[in-house]
Amino acid sequence: MKPIQVADQPRLGLLRTTRITVDGIRYRLFRTSVTVAVIAMAVAFLMNILSESLMKRAVAHDTREQIARMHTVHDWAARLTRPGTPEEIIASLSRAEEHDAVYRETAAMAKLTPEAMAELHRSAREAADILRFFDDLDYARRRALIHAASGAGIFERLGTPTGFEQFKTALAGMKSVRFIMRLNDLTRFLSAWPKTLARIEQVRQGRAQAIRNVDAARGGRTILAALAETGGEFGQAVRDAGFAFDAQVTAPGVADRAQRILDQRRLEKSAESILMLQAIAQRRNVVPTDVTVAMMWGLLRGRRAATWYRGRLGQSIDTLKTENQKLARESEELKKNDEQIRKNNEQIKLNDEKTKENLHTIREKLVPASDLTPERHRNREAALARAERLTVGMGRGWMGLGERMGWLLFVSMLVCVIGISNAMLMSVTERFREIATMKCLGALDGFIMIMFVLESCFLGVVGGLIGAVLGSLIGLGRMLAAFGTTFMASVPVVDLLAAMIVAVGLGVVLAAVAAVYPSFKAARLAPMEAMRVE
Amino acid sequence: MSEKKHEMNATPPKPDHGRRRVIIRTVGLKKHYDMKGVVTEALRGVDVEIYTGEFISVMGPSGSGKTTFFNMIGALDSPSAGRVFIDEVDAAQLTAEELAYLRCNKIGYIFQSYNLIQYMTALENVTTPMIFGGVLPDEARKRGMELLDLVGLGERWHHRPIEMSGGQQQRVAIARSLANQPSVLLCDEPTGNLDLATGQGILEVLQRLNEIKGVTVICATHDHRMLDICDRLMWIRDGRIQRIARRDELHIEVGAIGGETA
Repeated sequence: MKPIQVADQPRLGLLRTTRITVDGIRYRLFRTSVTVAVIAMAVAFLMNILSESLMKRAVAHDTREQIARMHTVHDWAARLTRPGTPEEIIASLSRAEEHDAVYRETAAMAKLTPEAMAELHRSAREAADILRFFDDLDYARRRALIHAASGAGIFERLGTPTGFEQFKTALAGMKSVRFIMRLNDLTRFLSAWPKTLARIEQVRQGRAQAIRNVDAARGGRTILAALAETGGEFGQAVRDAGFAFDAQVTAPGVADRAQRILDQRRLEKSAESILMLQAIAQRRNVVPTDVTVAMMWGLLRGRRAATWYRGRLGQSIDTLKTENQKLARESEELKKNDEQIRKNNEQIKLNDEKTKENLHTIREKLVPASDLTPERHRNREAALARAERLTVGMGRGWMGLGERMGWLLFVSMLVCVIGISNAMLMSVTERFREIATMKCLGALDGFIMIMFVLESCFLGVVGGLIGAVLGSLIGLGRMLAAFGTTFMASVPVVDLLAAMIVAVGLGVVLAAVAAVYPSFKAARLAPMEAMRVE
Repeated sequence: MSEKKHEMNATPPKPDHGRRRVIIRTVGLKKHYDMKGVVTEALRGVDVEIYTGEFISVMGPSGSGKTTFFNMIGALDSPSAGRVFIDEVDAAQLTAEELAYLRCNKIGYIFQSYNLIQYMTALENVTTPMIFGGVLPDEARKRGMELLDLVGLGERWHHRPIEMSGGQQQRVAIARSLANQPSVLLCDEPTGNLDLATGQGILEVLQRLNEIKGVTVICATHDHRMLDICDRLMWIRDGRIQRIARRDELHIEVGAIGGETA
């Protein structure tokens, strides 16, 4: 009988461990797939929120940019027609940096010295901060602090001793509200306010003068028509008047936008002609008086309806043309006949008026401004507005994902952690008996640990990948449904891929961590204790 | 049956215990389970010596502490008090690696519920301890097939436990317990879940191992047939050794003990 000699058990190679692990997974394919499904669901949830946040962020960014570009023409139209209220001047100055075009333009127009301009700039920034503070307050607090004052009137009110006193006592009573500057600074700002206001008035005067010059160059055209002019004479006049209207950077874009708006207006006008009113009414099955411009845009949203509309428009114009000719001929004939002239004087007058109207409609015949037709522009604008509405609040909070999204992301991560931990805990604890048996057969603690960590890594990778793909697909689908295919270009592919890697990594790490603890516990127990745990 | 008994009686008597080596020795072995404050005393001090090459049966009613005793001497569980010496080495002094080596190479375990690994084939189940012990895969396969042949399952090496009957599973478990030529075979009610004929087969296998390979067999059982093949009998009751007797002494007292063992 050989004596018992005790030695150290050899360690098993990784390859062999992997094989045993894979055999185990293959045998328990169904149970494993349930675990994988749980992991996949958790990761998909996380990935869904993550991808939607990222896409929303990208869409929000693009939308803001495009809307800003769209609005430049309106900004210019406003700037070239109105000197602006003090509040508007404060806002535009506070946004401008020193040596900005706007900054220089304002200084030149108001004929301010550099020092005075710098002072005005500083005051405008402070004023804008204070105004923003009051705008962000809720109604009750705002009323307690400054009563019903608004805009520049706030400084007016705070400038009076009673108003300031009321502000101070009310502010002291609000524990959760912190004023953005020290009261000393506020007093200094308020004492300088009359001077600031005088300077703002100077700016207004300067602008008003410049606008008068621009008006002269405009010569009775609407501002948009003048801006749409591509020749450049009007642009030069605007520059001469002192506006920083850059001929290379700003002017072409503004002219393009203005032309588009004019095109849209012209198309809207076409819906006012009686023939088109009738056509639309017939198609929409309403009475002609109920037809609105919105109805026309609604029709133009569909490609086929738009083609139909254009066809009808062409027909109407032709009809009007023929009618015009006929009327003209008739007037000629009427003119020839003296008796008839007197008799039909009224009729001629009527006809003339009608002719004028019809000619007007013909003049407003559509001129395509670019490759995109007005209705497509209009649709695009509607989509942008929708996107802006849907992405309110993005750009703030964690990673610029918005406060609500950041919170959702946190919750989904929690769900992910708990879901995966639970799945892995279950799948390990239900195999305590197997662990015990393996230990009876001489398995080392390390082998059991490695086996389970390997297994959970496999499950984590598979579940994570499935979940990441599923989550991003769902997110993509939802985003496309919400914003429309026009935002396909905004999909941040690189960010999404990075997020997928993060999600899969998280799945793997969580699965491994969740498996380590129970398998470590099981591996450390004596075999029979592990068997009893069940 | 009677023929078998006759054969066994005919085998020459084994050498005296005094001249043999002690392979397992317990000193004041105690074990209690603490289940949420309710303490169950499973063993209340067991002192026993088991010799090499011996076939020893442990009998006792359920709950008497047989299985606990088994787990203790098989180094599968740690005692609450007292010591287990396996070949004069204190099991409590062994490191985790040494314990694994001991369980892998020196002791074979057979459980009442087989405890085969479900996702492995019969052959893989048998070779697992060899793989753990560092035997090369080809060699392990060869030896595994030999062992399966030994228990009469050579044809069914590729079946999984779920595709086999209880008796066949238990035979695979026996083959597995012999994988690394252990010095001691611990069987916890090996025939408990089996019908008479199958149980008989298992017992024959155990007996053969004991006689031919000289393996020390320690067998907890309710099975009376065990009386015929064991060298010594041990009765456990309420966590204490009630009695130890050699089979030749027993013959006279079968009537007296019968009531107690049943």
